[in-house]
This record gives sequence, structure tokens and C-alpha cells, in this order.
Amino acid sequence: MNEATLLQPLPGRSARVAFTGKRRDFFRLVRRGALLELITAGFYRFWLSTDIRRILWSGTTIDGHPAEYTGTGKELLIGFLFALAILAPIYLVYFLIGIELERARAFASIPLILFFYAFGQFAIFRARRYRATRTVWRGVRFWMSGSGWAYSWRACLWSLLALVTVGLALPWRESALERYKMRHLHYGDLPGRFDGAGWALFKRGFWLWLLCVCFVAAFAAIARVRSHPGLLFLPVLVFLVGGLFVYCAYKAIVWRWWLSGICFGEVWFHSDLRAGALMRLYWATVGWIALVVLADVVMIALVILIAALTPLFGGHFTAAGMVLFARQHFYLLLGANLANYLVLALCVGVLARVYLVHGVWGRVVVSATAHNLDRADDVRARGDLVSALGEGFADGLDVAGF
Amino acid sequence: MVSTSPDSSAETGGGAPNAAAGGAAAKPVTYFDGITNRRHEVALAFGRALEISEHGAAVASWAYDDLRAADGGQDTLRLKCTSGPPLARLEVPAPQVQAEIRARARFLHVERETGAQTRRIVAWSVAAIASIVAIVVFGIPLAAARLVPLVPLSFERRLGDMVDNRVQQIFRGKICTGAKGNAAFAKLIKTLAQAGHLNMALRAAVLASPVPNAFALPGGKIYLLNGLLQKANSVDEIAGVIAHEMGHVAHRDQTRMVIQNGGTSFLIGLLLGDITGSAAIIFATRSVLAASYSREAEAGADAFAISTMHALGRSPAPMGDLLFRITGAQGGRTIGILASHPLTEDRRALMRREDRPATGPEILSAEEWRALKAVCRP
Repeated sequence: MNEATLLQPLPGRSARVAFTGKRRDFFRLVRRGALLELITAGFYRFWLSTDIRRILWSGTTIDGHPAEYTGTGKELLIGFLFALAILAPIYLVYFLIGIELERARAFASIPLILFFYAFGQFAIFRARRYRATRTVWRGVRFWMSGSGWAYSWRACLWSLLALVTVGLALPWRESALERYKMRHLHYGDLPGRFDGAGWALFKRGFWLWLLCVCFVAAFAAIARVRSHPGLLFLPVLVFLVGGLFVYCAYKAIVWRWWLSGICFGEVWFHSDLRAGALMRLYWATVGWIALVVLADVVMIALVILIAALTPLFGGHFTAAGMVLFARQHFYLLLGANLANYLVLALCVGVLARVYLVHGVWGRVVVSATAHNLDRADDVRARGDLVSALGEGFADGLDVAGF
Repeated sequence: MVSTSPDSSAETGGGAPNAAAGGAAAKPVTYFDGITNRRHEVALAFGRALEISEHGAAVASWAYDDLRAADGGQDTLRLKCTSGPPLARLEVPAPQVQAEIRARARFLHVERETGAQTRRIVAWSVAAIASIVAIVVFGIPLAAARLVPLVPLSFERRLGDMVDNRVQQIFRGKICTGAKGNAAFAKLIKTLAQAGHLNMALRAAVLASPVPNAFALPGGKIYLLNGLLQKANSVDEIAGVIAHEMGHVAHRDQTRMVIQNGGTSFLIGLLLGDITGSAAIIFATRSVLAASYSREAEAGADAFAISTMHALGRSPAPMGDLLFRITGAQGGRTIGILASHPLTEDRRALMRREDRPATGPEILSAEEWRALKAVCRP
């Protein structure tokens, strides 16, 4: 034994997190799910998101044991229906108060939107609580205490501060909110904790913030000098491309910081995710979407060309002829456009899920190593299941977060 | 470590030999009791039930029919037992042992979503969609029509004030102030309200805007825009349009519209949720529905205008002419299902059918009409 080991009386067991999910399986799942979502006008989403979580959870292996997601689509549906029943009267009250305020002064009801922001934050907290109680590892589930409203007002105040400081306070916002959420998360009788400091995230991400400010300033300057909108094409392109690079780096930095801050009792995680680790996934998404759109444009051009050349449509390939055709077959064209749009949207949805959900998850979790795992070898089960009401609110209010 | 357990039920176990998954010492079967997360390396025996033992001591006995597959890793079979603790799990990595279990557990994959289950979800969803469509197309208009009489007039007035606040801000300083013109306008409003049996305090004003239009707010506020006034050639043309707006007030169309559009937005927006790219679909559906509700309301207001003009012994035909002068023929230009009003040529044809020779006096004298036309001139 050398000195180093002697200095550490408890050389805890460490293990890198593994991910065994296969992209092909996941692709099949979301392709089928997207079609079913289309047929059911979106009702299938409860079962699809359950299936997605099951695949992600069970593909994530910590210390040789995969995690397990025990939620069901039915729970999500019931949670959604309850949330709907609660939201309906709230919307009505919101409407009535809005009328009174508008009567007093035009546009006075705008601050009411803040209420829905707060409600959305509440929903985010409660949704995480549902997911935690459906997460099982080694026969013991996670659970969460804490109050959704206490979280909500904290989130609102921090958001306000972040807004006032033009995003500079964002790291501290993230850190404070995550501390609240992790403080109330438990694995059995092992309490969770978040050690990520706002300052650490600030140091890592400050150059991105600066880059953003420079981008915006440069863009504004160019937009002012070049008055012709056509000349703005290049700057806009640079802006978008640069923006995506910055975003990828930002996401990677935040993920790394977040994973490295997680502790349960004496077990702690560390992540070595590089800032450029997610670039390929995001650019693959953009590339595939561009390809799909290009294929779509080519297909439409071909259809128009064939339609113009066949005698069925008069064979007049003139602008006036096409306008006439469009006027005569309005519903046909409307239907064709709608179908085309839906197919396109579904493709984009599938691509985003494959790369940005499955891909990013796989990339992020394997960057983590769990330390001191022997301190999690005899954890007692605690905590009860909670309903999916929070998920329902998040769905009804269209907020995403985790 | 998987080892053979003492065979207590070899002869009763349906001839099943007591299973020994030898050679898998490197891949132990792990049992979690659902009370702590402690790893128990256990031995399995295939008796009448799946016998789980640790160091020779029985830990659990799981009936084969209660065994279910839980999500696990790639190669590990993870089992749970419906009659055991809900989170107790058995992780079986060795393929031979997995095969032994699969051979006995009939309902291992019963929780997996089957084709029949998917079809059931689809069928219920389609039923739900049909029900929502029925509610939106038939239920909500019916409910709105029943609800509107229950909404107190004072509420409607508040609704009107709210919109009026915004109107006042948009048209700040553009309310026409010509004294003689306003007097003539007030007379016009009063005459029409009496003829239409509209027993509520109406407020009306002419706004200096070049847009040829007129509109009514809930609670009985009517605005006439100067653009329309200047296009009009006679009192009857303007009177018809004002009577049409009074029709909206009398039928309380805006209140009904608020209830209808609010209801459909809520149903469509919330129920359809976040299917990828659904925003455009929701927008399209809502536009079509709102337009269809609106066309009905417009037809109702036209009927009100026609009967009011008849009551005054005047013809509604000039109103149709005025509208046609403004919009021209619309057929082939507007998209039928998206239009908020019936086609102008159809409206004009309807009003011409209702044309009758004048039996009543002119609503305004020639002098009053001139004053009204000049109401926005400083």
C-alpha cells in the first residue's frame, strides 16, 4: 500500500455510468410512436413518453445494475385529465379578472401571464417528483419531499433577477433552484444534495455569454449599416450557425456542471463531458432536417412538373394556368399541403427525439462516474408514490423542464 | 453464485428437473428484496414455484404465474412478482437460467404493450376525437346560445368597456366632433333602435378612419368609420349597416362568440396537446371554426337589418349595394370556409329580394344627411 491509499481510509468503489440503449431500437419506437400520435391526434403521447423513459432508464446502468422506470401511460393520462379539470376553472377566472383589469386600463391584464409562469414552475417541480417516484434502482425507489409552490416563487424571483441582469445571474439561478430540487430528492433513506456552485458555472460559461453579447451587438451594427434586407442573408446565416455552436457548448457545460454537483449521502458523481461533446448530435439533427426539407422541395417540384406536363390538367404550364388550377381545386391543394406539412413535422419530431433525446442522454450519462458507491449498498426503502397530476399540468400549460 | 438447491419437489414439479445453471459462477443471480437495496446473491430452485434462497436459507418463493419481466439491461432478465413486494427484483444474467424461467413463467410478458392494447388506445382516442369534434361543432354553439341569455347585461357592458378601452387608445383623438353631424347620427341611431325594439342604452360615435367599416361592441357601443360614411350615397345605405350592427348587439353575438371561441380554444388546444407541429393544425382548425360561427352571426345580423328597415318602411337593398361597392364580387377570390362574412354578392342578392317600395319617410332629411357626411370635417 502506498501513501495515497493510506491517506484515504475509505477508498470507495467507483463506477462509470454505462448506457446500453441502441439508436436503431429507439428509432423504431419513436417512428411507430409518431405514427400513432398522428392517428390518435396526440393522445398516444402519454404512452410514447412512457416508452421513451423506459428505454432511457433501463439503458442506464450504474454499478452493473440498470435503472428502471415504473410509470405507465395510463397514469399520465389520468394525471392529465385531472389537471384539465383543475385548469378549466382557472382559465375562466383568469379570463374574468382579465376583463376587469382591462376595463380599468387597456393592456393592464398582461401581468396575469406571470401567474401562468409561476404555475408552470410549480408543474415542473411536481412533474419531477412524479418521475422520481417512478425511478427504481436496485429495488428501491427515489422520492421527493418539498413544496411545488415554495419552488415556484423561488423560480419566479430568480428568473426576474436573471432578466434584470441580462442573463448574468443565470448560473446562480440554476444553482439555487437545483439545490432546492435536489435537497428534497431522496433515494430510499439516502438524502440527495446538490453541490454545484453558481460561481463554477459562471466561470465555465462566461465566455459564451460574452460571445452572445458580441453576436447580438455585431448583428445590430450590420443590420443598421446594410439597409437592404437581401444583404442581411449572410449575417443571419453566420448568426444562426454561431448560435447553434454556442448553444451546444452551453448545453454541454450545464450538463457537466449539473452531473458533477449531484450527491446522495456520501455518494457523489463526477462528469467529464467536453464542451464540444454534443456538437455532432445537434449538427446531425440540423443536417437531417435540411435533407428532409430538400427532399420535400424536390418532390413538390416533381409533382408540379408532372402535373403541368400531363394533359389531365390542361397541359398549360403557365402561371395563369396554375393559379386557375389552384382556384378550382382548392380543397385538394389544401389537403395535399396539410398532409405534406404533417409528414414533414413528424419526420422532424422523430429526428429530434433520436438525436436530441436518445443521443444526448446516451452521451451525457456515460460521461458520469459515481464515487463512494459502497455507501449506497444498504439503503432502506422510503417514500410513497405520487400521482402524475404535475405531469398533467406541465402538459396542459405546455411547459417543459425537468 | 448460482448453485443447485436441495431438491424438495423434483418429482412434483411437472417433471422439471431441478435447475442448476452450472458454469455461470461469474454471473450471480442477484435478489433485491424491495426493503433495502442490499445485493443478495441467491440460488434458484425450480420447484412448484421459483424458490429463492441465500446461503441455504429460503428468501422468497415466487409462483411461476406471478412472474413478470421488468425493464432491465440488455442481457439481464429482471423479474418481479405480482404477489411479492412491489419493488422486489431478481436479476438473472445467465442465459441458461433465463431459458429455464421462460419455459415455466407463462405470463412473463403479459405487461408488455401488445397489438391489441395499442388498438384499444387508438380506438378510444378516435372515440375521444369524435366526441370532441361533436362538442365543438354542435355542443358549444348550442351551449353558447343557452348561456348567453344567462349572462347579465352588466357583464356584457364590462366586456364592451374592456374592448372600448383599446379602441379608444387606437383611435385616440379621432372621434369626430361635428355638432350637427353628431345630432343627425344620434337621431339615426334612435330611430333605428326604436324600429328594431332594442331596449338598451346605445352609445355610438363616428371615427375618423379611412377604412370603410363599422363595428359594434358588446353592451351596445357602435362605431362607424368615416371611410364607410364617405362611400355611402344615401341615408338608407348607412342606416342598413347600422341596423346590421344593432343586430349584433341585439343578438349579443360578441358574448356568444367569446364563449364559443373560448370553449373551442380550450378543447382543441389542451386536448390535442403537443403532437409535433400541432400548432399549425390547431390554428387552422380554430380559424375555420371561428369563421363558421361568425358567418352564422353575420347572417343573423343581416336578417335583423332587413326587418328593421322594413319596419321603418324603407328598403334594405341600398345596404347591399353599399357593401358591394366596397368589396366587389368575392366569389373565386375568398376562400369560402375561411371567410368571416357570407359572400357580398349573396348578401346583396338577399337584400334585393327583400326590396320593397318605400312606405315610410326618409330617416334623415337632406340637410341632416349632409351634416352627417361632414361630421369628421373640422
